[in-house]
Amino acid sequence: MPLVHPFRNSSTESDVASEVTVITERPWNVIVWNDPVTPMTVVVVIFRRIFGYSDNKCTELMLTVHHEGRAVVWSGQRERAESYCVKLQVAGLQATVERDA
Amino acid sequence: MAGKLFTRRRDGRIEVRLNDAGRAAIREVFAHVLAAERDPDHEWHLSLNAPINPSSDDDDPLASLARQNEIASNAELSVMTLEEQYLTDAEGWAWLSTIQVALRSTAVMNGLLSDEKLEACDPELLEDIRTMQQFLFELAACF
Repeated sequence: MPLVHPFRNSSTESDVASEVTVITERPWNVIVWNDPVTPMTVVVVIFRRIFGYSDNKCTELMLTVHHEGRAVVWSGQRERAESYCVKLQVAGLQATVERDA
Repeated sequence: MAGKLFTRRRDGRIEVRLNDAGRAAIREVFAHVLAAERDPDHEWHLSLNAPINPSSDDDDPLASLARQNEIASNAELSVMTLEEQYLTDAEGWAWLSTIQVALRSTAVMNGLLSDEKLEACDPELLEDIRTMQQFLFELAACF
C-alpha cells in the first residue's frame, strides 16, 4: 500500500483571483393611490396586515396617500412588488407597480 | 343598528352583531362582488381587474390570476359565513376585503373620484356608500 501524503497548500491565501461585478437595478415601487371613499382606519389596517409595518409607519403612509394622492409603500424586486400590489388590490385598495425613476 | 356591529372576543373570534337588515345589506354586497368576479360583463368586472403595471401592455398573467382567485375566494368565504355569529380571523379579513372591494368598485363605476363628486352624488347611492363605510370602520377596529 503506497504511502499517501496529503497534499496541502502551504499558503492560506487563495490563488484564485475573483472579480465581482455588482449590477444595481432600479427598484420597483408599489404605489397606493388615494380615493375619496376608503376610511382611513381601513387603509392603516390593510398596510399593517400586508406589510407588518408599525402603527406609526402605517399611519404615516396613509396620511401621505391622503394628502399627496399617492405613496410608495414598498420598494424592491419586481416579483415581490407585483405580489404586494395584488394583495393590496385583493384587499380593495387602488395599487399599481412602477419602476423607480 | 345601535352599539358595536363587530367586536373581537378574548378567544380571538370576531362577534357579528348585525341585525337582519344589516345582514341583508352585507349579503347584497358579497353577492355583487362574487358575481362581478365570475361575469366579465358585470359592471364591476373592470374595476376588479385594474392594471397592476400600467406601463406594460399586459400584466403578468400569473399575478392577474392570483388576484382573481383571491378576490373570488374572499367573496365565497364571506358568502359561506354570512349567517355566522362568530368569525375566525381569516373569515373576518375576508369580510373586510370583500366589503372594501365592493366600496371601491361602487365609487369607480359611478365616477366618484373626488370628495366633491362624492358629496354631490345621488342620495341613495351615498347612503349605500355610507353603510359600507360604517361596516368597514367597525370591522377594521377588530384588526
